[in-house]
Amino acid sequence: MNVPETVATALDDREVAGTRCLEAGAGAGNATAGLLANGAARVYAVTDDSEHARTTRRRVGDVGDDTDDSGGGDSNDTDDGTDSRDDRLAVVEADLRAVPLPDDSVDLITAHGLCNVLDPAALSAVAEEFSRVAAAGARLVVDDYDPLPDGAAIRELFAVENAASELARGRPALTFYPAAFLRRLFAGRGWEFERERTLLEPVPWTESHVAAHADEAVSMAAECPEGAGDALAAASRGLASEIGSESVGRMYSLAFRLPR
Amino acid sequence: MQTRSLGDTGHDSTVMTFGAIALNWLEQEGANQLVEHVLDYGVNHVDVAPTYGDAELKLGPKLRQHREEIFLGCKTQERTYEGAWRTLDRSLNRLGVDAIDLYQVHGLEYDEELDAITGDDGALAAFREAKEQGLIDHIGLTSHGHPDLVLDALDRIDDLESVMFPLNPVVAGKDDDEHDYEAVLARADERNVGTLGIKAFAGGTWPSTDELPESDRPFANWYRPVTAPDEIRERFDFAAAQGLTSVVSAGDPKLVTMILEAAADYDGMDEAARRSLIERVRHDESPVPEQLHH
Ligand SMILES: NC(=O)c1ccc[n+]([C@@H]2O[C@H](COP(=O)([O-])OP(=O)(O)OC[C@H]3O[C@@H](n4cnc5c(N)ncnc54)[C@H](OP(=O)(O)O)[C@@H]3O)[C@@H](O)[C@H]2O)c1
Ligand SMILES: C[S@@+](CC[C@H](N)C(=O)[O-])C[C@H]1O[C@@H](n2cnc3c(N)ncnc32)[C@H](O)[C@@H]1O
Repeated sequence: MNVPETVATALDDREVAGTRCLEAGAGAGNATAGLLANGAARVYAVTDDSEHARTTRRRVGDVGDDTDDSGGGDSNDTDDGTDSRDDRLAVVEADLRAVPLPDDSVDLITAHGLCNVLDPAALSAVAEEFSRVAAAGARLVVDDYDPLPDGAAIRELFAVENAASELARGRPALTFYPAAFLRRLFAGRGWEFERERTLLEPVPWTESHVAAHADEAVSMAAECPEGAGDALAAASRGLASEIGSESVGRMYSLAFRLPR
Repeated sequence: MQTRSLGDTGHDSTVMTFGAIALNWLEQEGANQLVEHVLDYGVNHVDVAPTYGDAELKLGPKLRQHREEIFLGCKTQERTYEGAWRTLDRSLNRLGVDAIDLYQVHGLEYDEELDAITGDDGALAAFREAKEQGLIDHIGLTSHGHPDLVLDALDRIDDLESVMFPLNPVVAGKDDDEHDYEAVLARADERNVGTLGIKAFAGGTWPSTDELPESDRPFANWYRPVTAPDEIRERFDFAAAQGLTSVVSAGDPKLVTMILEAAADYDGMDEAARRSLIERVRHDESPVPEQLHH
């Protein structure tokens, strides 16, 4: 599959070849694809969402050539039983607050678009796990979005989505942490800051992104107390059609390493 | 308007090249006005072909009036020595000029065509004779074919001085060889061959003719163009920032002024904005594979 430019840019000054990687929050498999394309020795792509796990296997797992698939049982079991798998990939369904990997077992951790879906408590727990599984000298790449500027129309949609999430689940759906915040968070856990890059500016929130967030808000609104839920669902639908798409904000990439 | 050196030709082309196919859709008076309008912006490179309907004829009057201000590119789809000579004579006649500055092999698509034009009895033999006789100044090639084919052409044609090929964010967002025109750009730069970008404004393919008959298409481009001024500007900036010598304007006259404005204001595009555009159109279908069938 194509490696998006964002991922390619975040990785192009990192040493990936031959490393053992944790892709934290596998999502669409984009960063996983980038790590494999850059020659990672092993990629543990972890997500707590079985749909995302399937997507990652489907998009990234099939390498198209007949890679020997006789390796360990954990390596990329495709659902469809195809033979062409990349045996460097293990897609793991697990909670990142308790990563099923031993201490000091990975050389590179990527969190590409992960932190914004973690509330502060989850972020803190996940950061703790990163420190545990990272070997001495390991690298960390954190790609995420700055908080949106005041004038951004899409902020309203995210506000409604967060309101529905708070009411339904007791936590926000999205938190945009400033680059400086995450930099200090990881620095506080011993990660030495190496560099910051701007991946996207503005960030293109396409019609399909907007629609997906509206759908998410609507489905959480269904779990809300009745009056509030209906109002939030209606508001998110209205906002989505009003906004359509919007290019606004910034996506950044931070890189760190642990001392040896 | 900014200019950039067109490879080793010695000519500095404006960052926008006027695609004269736009004249085909206008009456003569409107065509004259459009050429004046384009020249008012300082554009100094005009591209035409005998297969663009009446465009050569309609370009003629203003071309002759402003001959010194215009670097003229023309093309032939003929692959043989004789065919190339015949179409060159015809174009010189229809344009009403003594010489063409850049004569291009038009729309190279298959390996066999590259063999044909480079053969003893091929079109390039005619190009070289015409060059000796002062009828053309420089030799170029255009293609929306496979990037590997254009790379081969760059390797095999020593006296090639420009290449014209598609480049836009849809194409740039795809990693496979079939879309790797960035490799063509890089190789051309290495060889100091000028680069002209087409399809910079392609937004996608038209709906099927069942859904939208050809006569109901709102634009005369054979792909669906982007049409909002902001989008036109982004697309222009993207193509120009990618490092092309010049970006050829879209085929519909309704789009030309917006493209001129974008070209006149061009002052670069930073990497994050460039990626932003690629990311936005990443899932759009590339119009390029369709073009391989024409
Ligand atoms: N599906 C295709 O691949 C394709 C291609 C051309 C035309 N067409 C359609 O065929 C119709 C008749 O075309 P024709 O007989 O005048 O041309 P044609 O002989 O089919 O094509 C002549 C050349 O003109 C170029 N061109 C660029 N923009 C164009 C435009 N807006 N319309 C036509 N050609 C364009 C094309 O490639 P260059 O950019 O290399 O010059 C093409 O090779 C057009 O209106 C168009 O809708 C389809
Ligand atoms: C926006 S996606 C990340 C995109 C992905 N990195 C890529 O490159 O395509 C966020 C991912 O993190 C996962 N996630 C969020 N919280 C998690 C947690 N506590 N444990 C495991 N995965 C989690 C989500 O399920 C989703 O797969």
